[in-house]
Amino acid sequence: MIIAIPTKTSGEKSFVSENFGRCNFFYIYDTETKLGKVYTNVYKDGQGGVGIKSSEFIINKGAKILITPRVGEKSLGVLRTANIKIFECTNEIVKSNIESYLNNELLEII
Amino acid sequence: MQVAVLSGKGGTGKTLLSVNLSYLAKNSIYVDCDVEEPNGLLYYDIPNIKEEIVYTKYPVVNHDQCIGCRKCTDFCQFNALAFILDKVRVFKELCHSCGGCKLVCPVEAIEEKDKEIGLVKSGFYESTEVYSGEMKPGEESGVPIIKELLKKVKNSNKNVFIDSPPGNGCSVMESISDADYCLLVAEPSIFGLHNLNMVYNLVNKFNKKSGLVINKSTDNNLIREFAKEHNIKILAEIPMDLELGKINSDGNIVAKDNRYKNIFEDIIAQISEVISP
Repeated sequence: MIIAIPTKTSGEKSFVSENFGRCNFFYIYDTETKLGKVYTNVYKDGQGGVGIKSSEFIINKGAKILITPRVGEKSLGVLRTANIKIFECTNEIVKSNIESYLNNELLEII
Repeated sequence: MQVAVLSGKGGTGKTLLSVNLSYLAKNSIYVDCDVEEPNGLLYYDIPNIKEEIVYTKYPVVNHDQCIGCRKCTDFCQFNALAFILDKVRVFKELCHSCGGCKLVCPVEAIEEKDKEIGLVKSGFYESTEVYSGEMKPGEESGVPIIKELLKKVKNSNKNVFIDSPPGNGCSVMESISDADYCLLVAEPSIFGLHNLNMVYNLVNKFNKKSGLVINKSTDNNLIREFAKEHNIKILAEIPMDLELGKINSDGNIVAKDNRYKNIFEDIIAQISEVISP
């Protein structure tokens, strides 16, 4: 299972970004290999439709789970189309959110 | 002649000026380009308003023909296309109808369809020809409606007064594109001054002739000092007048009242002087 988290700086110890679409980086974590990869969000300074491109990006990276503090309307539409499950982040640090998710402690945003 | 009335800040008097100037000018046309919040029509009693729907194009993808090359999604500068679950998805509301996706598609899998984005209303009030645009809620840009409005008056030899939208973005630039003269309106407040400065820079970028009217004028010198510093001609000052304000806010044309008529006549005379050949 692949988890995506929008982050402020790079890596698992980073703070989670307050925004999904306009975050600085995406942290993409594979629960099987237990490895995480960091990608720069090249869309973040776009004029509009940024959430759409960010959603497209994580979907194409194979993400099935998104952990984020909030998600915009357009992103939500795209993510729903691709059946991505969205969970509300409860902790500021990326790594702790992944642990919380694996312990079934996160709430799904419906 | 074509005169665009603009202010930067909202609620400053663009509609007041453009409605009253077009009422007094002979052979005139009033065009409300503030398509996101059109108010100009409220001054006029027009029994048979003509309504025309404005359409823009948006792409429709034939998924059987699409080979998934992503040239279209990479091309789109407005992020209106995304490749999700092996299909190109179109986000109509973000599309600016440039047609680029259709051009770059190597297999002709994209065709364009019409989308309704608003209305152009038109009619006559006494001798004034009146046009007003209205954008459908939820649309991203009113520019195509403004383009449609300006097409109506493009080659007219009448005196056209354009009621521009507030701000200094795309829709304002569109509304002043054909203007011979930009009439700036400002109110004497720090907000009025700040936005006047922005819109004045815009008008200069477009190399337009311009002049200034101070509305709700008091003994506050903010705008007068700005005009002096930048050498902008002040064509008139409309006083902070309770009676004038009341007539206007009841949706009546102030220039019908002899007490105020000459303010607007004087502005028209000064503009004609500057732009007549």
